[in-house]
Amino acid sequence: MNKNFFQSSIKDSLFTGLIALALFGPIVGLRTVAVNEALVVQPKWLVVGLIVLACTIGRFLINIYTFKKEQRRGEPSSISKIITNFLDTKGAQIALGAVIFSVIFPFMPFADRYWMDIAIMMMTYIMLGWGLNIVIGLAGLLDLGYVAFYAVGAYSYALFAIHFGWSFWICLPLAGLFAGLFGILLGFPVLRLRGDYLAIVTLAFGEMIRILLLNWYDLTKGPDGLTGIPRPSFFGLPFKRYPDEGVETFHTFFGLEYSPMQRIIFLYYLILILALITNFFTIKIRKLPVGRAWEALREDEIACKSLGVNPRNTKLTAFAVGAMFGGFAGSFFATRQAFISPESFTFIESAIIVAIVVLGGMGSQTGVVLSTIFLIGLIEVFRDFESYRMIAFGGAMVLIMVFRPKGILATRKPTITMRKEK
Amino acid sequence: MRDNLLDVENLSMRFGGLLAIDDLSFSAKKDNITSIIGPNGAGKTTVFNCLTGFYKATSGSMFLNKDNKKLDLKKFSDFKVAQKAGVARTFQNIRLFPQMSVLENMMVAQHNKLMIASGFSILGLLNAPSFLKKEKEAVEISKYWLDIINLTNRADDNAGDLPYGDQRKLEIVRAMCINPHLLCLDEPAAGLNAKESAELNKLLLFIKNEKKTGILLIEHDMSVVMGISDHVVVLNYGKKIFEGTAKETKNSPEVIEAYLGTED
Amino acid sequence: MEYFLQQLINGLTLGSVYGLIAIGYTMVYGIIGMINFAHGDIFMVGAFVALISFILFALTSIALPIVLLLTLLIAMVFTACYGWTVEKLAYKPLRKSFRLAPLISALGMSIVLQNYVQAAQGARIKTLQPVIQGGFNFFEDSNFTVTLSYLQIFIVIVTIVLMAIFTLFITRTALGRAQRACEQDRTMTALMGINVDRTISMTFIIGSSLASVAGMMFVMYYGVIDFYIGFLAGIKAFTAAVLGGIGSIPGAMLGGLLIGLIETFWSGYISIEYKDIAAFSTLVIVLIFFPTGFLGKPDIEKV
Repeated sequence: MNKNFFQSSIKDSLFTGLIALALFGPIVGLRTVAVNEALVVQPKWLVVGLIVLACTIGRFLINIYTFKKEQRRGEPSSISKIITNFLDTKGAQIALGAVIFSVIFPFMPFADRYWMDIAIMMMTYIMLGWGLNIVIGLAGLLDLGYVAFYAVGAYSYALFAIHFGWSFWICLPLAGLFAGLFGILLGFPVLRLRGDYLAIVTLAFGEMIRILLLNWYDLTKGPDGLTGIPRPSFFGLPFKRYPDEGVETFHTFFGLEYSPMQRIIFLYYLILILALITNFFTIKIRKLPVGRAWEALREDEIACKSLGVNPRNTKLTAFAVGAMFGGFAGSFFATRQAFISPESFTFIESAIIVAIVVLGGMGSQTGVVLSTIFLIGLIEVFRDFESYRMIAFGGAMVLIMVFRPKGILATRKPTITMRKEK
Repeated sequence: MRDNLLDVENLSMRFGGLLAIDDLSFSAKKDNITSIIGPNGAGKTTVFNCLTGFYKATSGSMFLNKDNKKLDLKKFSDFKVAQKAGVARTFQNIRLFPQMSVLENMMVAQHNKLMIASGFSILGLLNAPSFLKKEKEAVEISKYWLDIINLTNRADDNAGDLPYGDQRKLEIVRAMCINPHLLCLDEPAAGLNAKESAELNKLLLFIKNEKKTGILLIEHDMSVVMGISDHVVVLNYGKKIFEGTAKETKNSPEVIEAYLGTED
Repeated sequence: MEYFLQQLINGLTLGSVYGLIAIGYTMVYGIIGMINFAHGDIFMVGAFVALISFILFALTSIALPIVLLLTLLIAMVFTACYGWTVEKLAYKPLRKSFRLAPLISALGMSIVLQNYVQAAQGARIKTLQPVIQGGFNFFEDSNFTVTLSYLQIFIVIVTIVLMAIFTLFITRTALGRAQRACEQDRTMTALMGINVDRTISMTFIIGSSLASVAGMMFVMYYGVIDFYIGFLAGIKAFTAAVLGGIGSIPGAMLGGLLIGLIETFWSGYISIEYKDIAAFSTLVIVLIFFPTGFLGKPDIEKV
């Protein structure tokens, strides 16, 4: 290793350390704490020292590593390529395997209440990811307010169920339709905006809906939220240990011992079915003219116009379909929690779903599953470190964009091929 | 003037203080190749943008003769010009869907009829036989055109991966897939070598003679313009300075002056 | 009438704060064409640095004007480091990536900054004792007294001075010229031998410094901050930038004042619960009907 390089990389590392000191010195090193209603500063120089040291050494190691890498250039060692190839060739079998695994999952020996809850949560995010994938991945519309449709679905489900006492199977499609309608209403004025403006406007809409839910007390009970949302029943058979007089329950009907897990397993299958419907719908619609037009719009809107494709209507369908699936997922969320409040529908939820879609590889259905397992897993593993896990999450978003802007699975399969026609 | 395909009358387009097109009138005949030429900045592309609805002309009118009906092109906004009036166009800097396959590019061009065939996706989701039949027909049409430009064997490759010359030709046949009455080509020969531009000439003549589609052509490559144009319109600073056959244009002193400047 | 006057004063003060943040949005948009989503959080960091500085100076017996000046400088320097680092880490590698990539990266950066400050400084709100007290009272004999506090005067004056310095910098110095050249055509500017990377870094440093001043004023004016203030303030300042015409620096200031006024009058006359709705609806309405803003250049779609 030559000396010049060594010197400059040490200099560079020391500079990094200096910047790190400036960054972390005041914010980390001088923690403000309230003592007797007045703020005092608690120094934490040790932590700062460690961070600065870590940054300096880390930078130095990176310098040396990249130097070495430059010396032996031309060795392709892209893991992602291997994964992509593997998924390309074995895609169908893997998908089938994953579906079978998801179906038998509740009967695995380790699938206790904790794992079932995580599985249900992941499945909800997968469904939301698939729904948003239509909007972002296929139509290329960066929607930062997707959680609004999730919220509309949840609230309309809850309100229908509470006030009219309709059953799950009536409220679910209604809530989905309602969310879809909302998508059209919101989409109509904004869809001609450019990409980044669209992102900000959808974000604003998402926040407006949350503020509305927070303040429209008569309808939504504001921050108190809606309680007593009816639990779903198995085709009219409730999951209750002690049913009302003369009502048959799930366990008595099937002659089973009562167990609270029965309801959890039912919920799991419910979201599994909903998610799979979303998936099959997306796979199918991608191959229809409208799906192709979505992707074409993402590629070049002006060319689309020159071919007579109506950009606004086409985008609107993507927006509405995505919103509808968000609404379905919201209904499921409402019935599962039996309680909803605006707190569940903050901007960060939108950000998580966007991250899932983007990390997965825009437009890739399998990618959404992989990135959900990764991101939600990440959040779950760091559950006890509230803000650290969100640092890791935000950092992951930046790193993905920097190192793999196209996501885990970047390959795209044509929706129609000539060879098959021969 | 029943046999005119396109009548542009007193067209003007103003951007702030700049008059990009100044009181322009010309006509294009059916089954003709009409070329618009002129130095850079003469307003040629702006004429196209007005015709195809991307810009709203400041004043003047444009009429398209379609099935013996006079359509006022000003009444159509961007995508409707292609959808309803049947005016297709290509772009100076090629606009394909680069991440989509060649065949998909051709299918998107047939979007409107397929959309109806798919019952606005409902029949399509149900795999209705009527839709599958229409879809097959659309693939056949695509294949027909791809055969003509020798790209059938690359139909499943991404359009962005094609060599430059093939991308140009693909953009033209893609525009033909909307079954246009008038095809507007914005510098289709730009960046092509001599062999490719000869092939281009053949393709354009085929479209004119076999498909009976009128072509409006912006071009700098004089071998293309002089070789295939039936009629030439010369613009300079937004004004029409000459109109005539290719041969007349070549010998016109005004045109030579516009390109080479005056001798002082 | 008195009430109206009071709202006007409050609105202009708030508008100064938004305007200073908006300059950062507008400059970054002008030079690299991206919405720096993390800019609101840079403002939040600036507010925290100023808060810490105020607390430390409270232990000493340095005179108030010097404390203000030093805090201003400290906030600017430390926050500028954040702006610089964010650009280097999250945006610079993405210059050639697809268009929405920097926006997503900025979103991630915003989440990182918020949670980092939360982890380092705690999630609870921080209260600062008033630094500048007192003011002028008008119409004391009527039933509504209008107050113009010294703090408000301070905020408006600092804003005007900074704007003046900044405008001189952009129009008169070589760096300012380089910056304007980069806005027009980055490739060409690089070919003229100007260090484009450094110019972009400079843009982030200036934008962040101005945001930190806004943060300092925010913490002085409201006396309460938490790690989440950047989100809303960021969106409002972005609205200001668009309203004034994104890319235009005087526009950002004008937009800031307008947003400040809209928000104050809305809370004063219509509804305080829905005060954020006012800002959001302004954003939506402006983007849909008026996307070039007041002083922006028209955005002609190049075909």
